[in-house]
Amino acid sequence: MKKLMLSLSSLMLAAGLAGCGDESSGGTSGEVKEDGAKEDITLRVAWWGGQPRHDYTMKVIEMYEEANPHVNIEAEFANWDDYWKKLAPMAAANQLPDIIQMDTAYLSQYGEKGQLEDLTSYTKDGTINVDNIDETTLAGGNIGDKMYGFNLGSNVLSVITNDDMLKEAGVELNEENWTWDDFEKAAIDVQKATGKYGTNPMNPPDVFFPYYLRTQGERFYNEDGTGLAYKDDQLFVDFFERQVRLIKAKAFPTPDVSAQIKGLEDDFIVKGEAAMTWNYSNQYLGFAQLTDAPLTINLPPEQTENKALFLRPSMFFSVPKSSEHKEEAAKFIDFWTNDVEANKLIKGDRGVPVSSEILEALKPELSEDEVKIFEYVERASQNASPADPPDPLGSAEVMKALKDISDQILFEKITPEEGAKKFREQADEILSRNG
Amino acid sequence: MKLRPSGDNLAGYAFISPFIIGFLAFTIIPMVVSLYLSFTNYDLFSTPQWVGLGNYIEMFTGDEKYWTTIKVTFTYVLAGVPLRLTFALIVAMLLNRASRMVGIYRTLFYLPSIIGGSVAVAIMWRNIFGNEGTINQLLFFMGIDQKIYWYQEPTSALWTLILLSVWQFGSSMLIFLAGLKNISPEYYEAASVDGANPFQKFFKITLPLLSPIIFFNLVMQTISAFMTFTPAYIISKGEGGPLDGTLLYSLYLFQKAFNFFQMGYASAMAWVMLLIVGILTLILFKTSKYWVHYESKEG
Amino acid sequence: MKALQESPQAEPRQLQVQKPKFKWGKWLYHLVTGAFALLMLYPIIWLLMSSFKESSQVFVTAHSLIPDPFILSNYTQGWEGIAGQSFGTFIKNSLIIVGFSTIGAVISSALIAYGFARISFKGKAFWFACMMVSMMLPHEVVMIPQYIIFAKIGWLNSFLPIIVPQFFGHAFFIFLMVQFIRNIPIELDEAARIDGCGRFGIFYKVIVPLIVPAMATAAIFSFYWKWEDLINPVLYLNSPDKYPVSLALKLFLDSETASNWGAMFAMSVVSLLPVILIFFLFQKYIVEGISTSGLK
Repeated sequence: MKKLMLSLSSLMLAAGLAGCGDESSGGTSGEVKEDGAKEDITLRVAWWGGQPRHDYTMKVIEMYEEANPHVNIEAEFANWDDYWKKLAPMAAANQLPDIIQMDTAYLSQYGEKGQLEDLTSYTKDGTINVDNIDETTLAGGNIGDKMYGFNLGSNVLSVITNDDMLKEAGVELNEENWTWDDFEKAAIDVQKATGKYGTNPMNPPDVFFPYYLRTQGERFYNEDGTGLAYKDDQLFVDFFERQVRLIKAKAFPTPDVSAQIKGLEDDFIVKGEAAMTWNYSNQYLGFAQLTDAPLTINLPPEQTENKALFLRPSMFFSVPKSSEHKEEAAKFIDFWTNDVEANKLIKGDRGVPVSSEILEALKPELSEDEVKIFEYVERASQNASPADPPDPLGSAEVMKALKDISDQILFEKITPEEGAKKFREQADEILSRNG
Repeated sequence: MKLRPSGDNLAGYAFISPFIIGFLAFTIIPMVVSLYLSFTNYDLFSTPQWVGLGNYIEMFTGDEKYWTTIKVTFTYVLAGVPLRLTFALIVAMLLNRASRMVGIYRTLFYLPSIIGGSVAVAIMWRNIFGNEGTINQLLFFMGIDQKIYWYQEPTSALWTLILLSVWQFGSSMLIFLAGLKNISPEYYEAASVDGANPFQKFFKITLPLLSPIIFFNLVMQTISAFMTFTPAYIISKGEGGPLDGTLLYSLYLFQKAFNFFQMGYASAMAWVMLLIVGILTLILFKTSKYWVHYESKEG
Repeated sequence: MKALQESPQAEPRQLQVQKPKFKWGKWLYHLVTGAFALLMLYPIIWLLMSSFKESSQVFVTAHSLIPDPFILSNYTQGWEGIAGQSFGTFIKNSLIIVGFSTIGAVISSALIAYGFARISFKGKAFWFACMMVSMMLPHEVVMIPQYIIFAKIGWLNSFLPIIVPQFFGHAFFIFLMVQFIRNIPIELDEAARIDGCGRFGIFYKVIVPLIVPAMATAAIFSFYWKWEDLINPVLYLNSPDKYPVSLALKLFLDSETASNWGAMFAMSVVSLLPVILIFFLFQKYIVEGISTSGLK
């Protein structure tokens, strides 16, 4: 049986499934010739996003094509869900686009499984100019010493507040040094004064629990991604017990309520149903546009002592090993990162730009809300420490396990202690495969 | 009335040749590959590694969630399919009359089925079953100050999904309608002459003559109910929550394949599904000779 | 034969007889059916009304059906499309895909169904089983091998991987038509054979007219399924100028930034129109039931 199926499948597997990454070695055809004349090439560029991103990215691409007449760019875009559905078969069939927008959650999967090109050589030889980019920021797309993703911008965790509601509850935040207890008290005070939620849920937990650990001087994953870094389950218990207390005080929505949120427009803070919202800094723009009440973007609690904050790479551009135009792809990334005119269109949509020169050049171009985001990221970076390395293999499963257990705790099906134990068991089992 | 056997073979294969060509060209190889992959560890990017029955053993002995998803899926199918078919048949009977308005009614009743996977459905779901939704408001107006939190309990969340599937009964209704229209009115006239009441007409004429269509709907709805993915995906945002209450089989399979990159395991799940659905379908086919009435014998 | 020829008139006659007696019943019928239909329609009405709301208002006023303010700009904005592609392009692509797919699926399925329902040949049970089994394997696991096949043929980023397989029959429709054909008395075939019809003649002159309701049903389903089909376009179409409506609608939305809900709802409404129109046109053939043409 096994023999039969093996032979039947061998054709397919030889053709596509197993052949990944083997065909890339001779991939420099069609690039710059000695005499300077350039052969026409086609670059496929793929990204996910919403309408504004699609619209301006097309304009940037047109700019690039105008400046580089020998390059014809085929854009391939979709929304987040569809994008990843599209990319997986492409990878399996060696059909990946030449430039892929990449997320930290998928970087290990694509990078460590041999799909992506190490971009270090292109940053070293100056094809991608990194003179104005901070070392740590640049390393955000590294796995080991290989740069599988080129960092496009930074986001920082933040607590966005509705100032009217806080005032009504008599809450004053001291964003530089408020504590988790201050946060809890503020949320409960708001609930008492207004009857609304004090805060949005800290959802998904795989974003906020690691931050909590950082404020306690701990980390979520260990260095090589083979297990959990924090040893004391009390940290897990403390984190979730606070949420359970907040739920009991009706200051924190239960998972069933948060599960029904359909988009930014539907969010608690936009509809005036919560006074605080935990989010990445880039989302401030959307919230500010949609909310009537005045909003402030604040540093989250207890970030000072252990330098808990970090600049999170919002997304990357990656170049697949199977690409035949890697150098041209690198040139496009260079243009994207360092061209002032292009960045006047991009602004902060893919995170606060990584190049300090672009940052300076953009400042006069920004709207009031965008300035607030840029300033916030600058303020946060004063006291930030390096980000955790990209999520290890299996992290999607770990994240799902954490979400499931978090739901069970918040629905009060299990205690935080039971949850802590269960999570450690499951995470260890998943991550031990990386060992 | 048999034709020469050889002629039959030739004609038979001539008529079904499009299917055979399509099957060989686009279907059989992927199926065999997926069967092979079900015995491997395959993460989409690296070469598959043979693990024998490993995935199957893990599924039945090591994976708690697998049993949850089996339970959820069977509840969904066993409750949803009969409800949906009964509902579809009733409405089809209701609309099977000659009236100018009927064309419009038919369209109106079919409409819910054509917005199937859209976000509008998810929002409707919340407006009805949400904590501040229609049902809880109705309870409040009736003086009951006790809200039902549909999405806090796995079971009640699953039932909202079943109700959603009943609501989208349009396709089954349409097939019933087409079947009802194929029943010659002569039969009813003859029965009326004999003084049969509507009840008798339904059981003596409609049911038997519609049985091939009922059989068809039953088989197809069962197969497609086992494969249901979209409603659970849009209501729970791909999570299958709360507490895995709406974690239908296809949804879990999808998570395994494309979120966790365990295509080998997902393939094994798919083949177990094929076996389950295949056996159920076979049973339905075997029982059909006792209750399905055809005007013509096969072949 | 006679009974069949008379069938279209038979039913109205039956109703006429009952009319005077049941007039209140008729009103009750319309009242109940109409009210029920409206209840079923709530989400559609919600969708329609939301398409006249401002994007930021859609969720704030989700419980209210009345747009305030009432705006039409969602339609003009949505029609402008995305990243330089007008929404008209997406509709055109959908129509091409759906048109060819439906024609291919209905015709090929009818032929195949006739073969399965009326001809006995060696291996029939086997092929029928193959057809049923092909419906039982979740698409997710055959998707990637299928993708690789189409990549090898060089069909990626074209409509071909979506349209061409439809020309080899659609299992659901084949089975549906088999059930309908088996409900047709075999005497009709014999009568036609005596009149000198061959296999194809019987199929074309006897069977096809009699399974018009099933074919209309199949056409309605095929049209709608292909219209809303998302996964195949996601997999096989890369260039935005080839995107169909189902895929394009999702481009308006993003979970990280403000989404254009208004335009999405407006274009959803627009994209429902062809589906509703096709339904309304084809349901007539289901209503009319057995066709009298071709039977002498």
